[in-house]
Amino acid sequence: MIHPVFQNLRSISVYFGTWILLAGIHFSILFFQFRIPLNISLSDSIIYNTIFCSIGIALWYVIRYSMPGTLAGFSFLFNHFTSLVLLLVFWLGSGYASLNLLFRNNAVYLNFLGLSLPFRFVIGIFLYAFIGLGYYLIIMYRDLQEKAKAETRLNELLKESELNMLKSQINPHFLFNSLNSISSLTITDPVKAQEMVVKLSEFLRYSVSSNINTFTTLEKEMQNIQRYLEIEKIRFGEKLVFEFAMEQGCFTKEVPVMILQPLFENAIKHGVYESTEPVKVRTGCKTFEDYFEISINNDFDPSAPARKGSGIGLKNIRERLRLMYKSDSLLKTSVKNNVFEVVLTIPNKPN
Amino acid sequence: MTYKAIIIDDEKPARDIIRTFLKDIAEIEVIAECPDGFAGLKAIQDLKPDLVFLDIQMPKLTGFEVLELLENPPLIIFSTAYDQYAIRAFELNATDYILKPYSRERFGQAVAKALSRIQTGVAVQPELQKIIQSADEKEELLNRIAVKTRHKVHVIGVNEILYLEAEGDYVMIHTREGNYLKEKTMKYFESHLEPEKFIRIHRSYIVNAEAIERIELYDKESYSVLLKTGDKLKASTSGYKLLKQILHM
Repeated sequence: MIHPVFQNLRSISVYFGTWILLAGIHFSILFFQFRIPLNISLSDSIIYNTIFCSIGIALWYVIRYSMPGTLAGFSFLFNHFTSLVLLLVFWLGSGYASLNLLFRNNAVYLNFLGLSLPFRFVIGIFLYAFIGLGYYLIIMYRDLQEKAKAETRLNELLKESELNMLKSQINPHFLFNSLNSISSLTITDPVKAQEMVVKLSEFLRYSVSSNINTFTTLEKEMQNIQRYLEIEKIRFGEKLVFEFAMEQGCFTKEVPVMILQPLFENAIKHGVYESTEPVKVRTGCKTFEDYFEISINNDFDPSAPARKGSGIGLKNIRERLRLMYKSDSLLKTSVKNNVFEVVLTIPNKPN
Repeated sequence: MTYKAIIIDDEKPARDIIRTFLKDIAEIEVIAECPDGFAGLKAIQDLKPDLVFLDIQMPKLTGFEVLELLENPPLIIFSTAYDQYAIRAFELNATDYILKPYSRERFGQAVAKALSRIQTGVAVQPELQKIIQSADEKEELLNRIAVKTRHKVHVIGVNEILYLEAEGDYVMIHTREGNYLKEKTMKYFESHLEPEKFIRIHRSYIVNAEAIERIELYDKESYSVLLKTGDKLKASTSGYKLLKQILHM
């Protein structure tokens, strides 16, 4: 934390300006009230005030390390009592010693100086309390500001992630194209149209109502994928073929909700959308001791130049996995013999 | 008199609804349906329809690429779920642009527009052309270019481009695999390729920064840019300045 006196030019001038003012008052009292000679009044004022001015700056470090919230009441008071005594002894002692040295021949003044020590002691306590309080107020104000800033940032992040999630959940073009298929089927095949409306509704309900931070069973997740693939199948017919090879043990495993849909969407976008030949999307799942592996692969046409916008879906998933499992290497992609493959490694949820 | 129409869309239900709607319009007869851009291009060239219903996102060739490759394109009605391509569509002189899913009424309007264009022979409204030109700058960057050689259509990814060279009204696209002529201007490519990567180094050249091997002083006024393939291109003073700025030399 930056020292409040040195945070900017204004704070520096306020602090030192106050001390110059105090030194002026100090001087006036000695010079006018007590009729002490000019040079002595001036020296007395400069020496005492300069020392306390430096002590005041150092006091910050005492305050910073003895916050009322973090220390027990007793040690808080003890800290302050010790530092108050030490500082005052140092202040009065070094002031007295230097003035004693400077004006050792002036017995009248030295007598006065000795007598004034109790007053100076009381003033010192007030100065200490005043500066200390000032520092505490500044710390509290800074804390408040920081908290407010952190809160806004957190809210922004939350909104952002929610928005991204919504975006990655439902691709509007998928939606519009599906609606167009339905529009067509209502005339050519009303029974199929009705089926598709139901499927699309179920798919949307699952996408919209799932909270992104929750887990679900792979069985439920795969049911949703099934619906998604069937909708795409109505759109693309023979061009889309799917195949599943999943171990029975996989279906009861827990996965983050909606983690698979973007992967299937990718497979279809880069496989089916770009190909005139039938494209097979294969899904596999294997269980291991403390994790299980889901693989999704699709054929693709290598001669079709890459589409823009690829990789965002994968990036989102990687980010979610990182946040949920604290690991960076859970999603791997590979390309071999015109087959694109994504492998997800998901740790078994500890129970 | 009946007019011939072709439907090009990669989704069967999307083709079905167009055909179904057209059944009620006596003036139009569907002569072919195609499931992708290549088949569509071939059908248009062979069957010479009066009107084409064209999807945009399709495998092999997009609807735009099909249209670009046609010498005397018929009337085009784009039908797509994407709303962001409308400007580009009208720039290519499309008759209409209908968003999926559409009503029978909206579809009817598009067809009526096409019929009146066929009957009156009016091509484009000049005002519309102006709007399109001013909107041109906001357009998306290309990520592939379709070109036609004598018998074949090639789709070139922009990353494969080494450099572009002006050839009169055409631009020669140089790639490692070969050179292709495209009927477009240098200015068009300058504004439709990623400016950080494709640099106009000369009146006649746009170079892919990734293909550059080194740059040499040619004479007092000009520089030559040596490519990894061994090609040597001239760079003008201003082209060299741009190159320096983009490559942070």
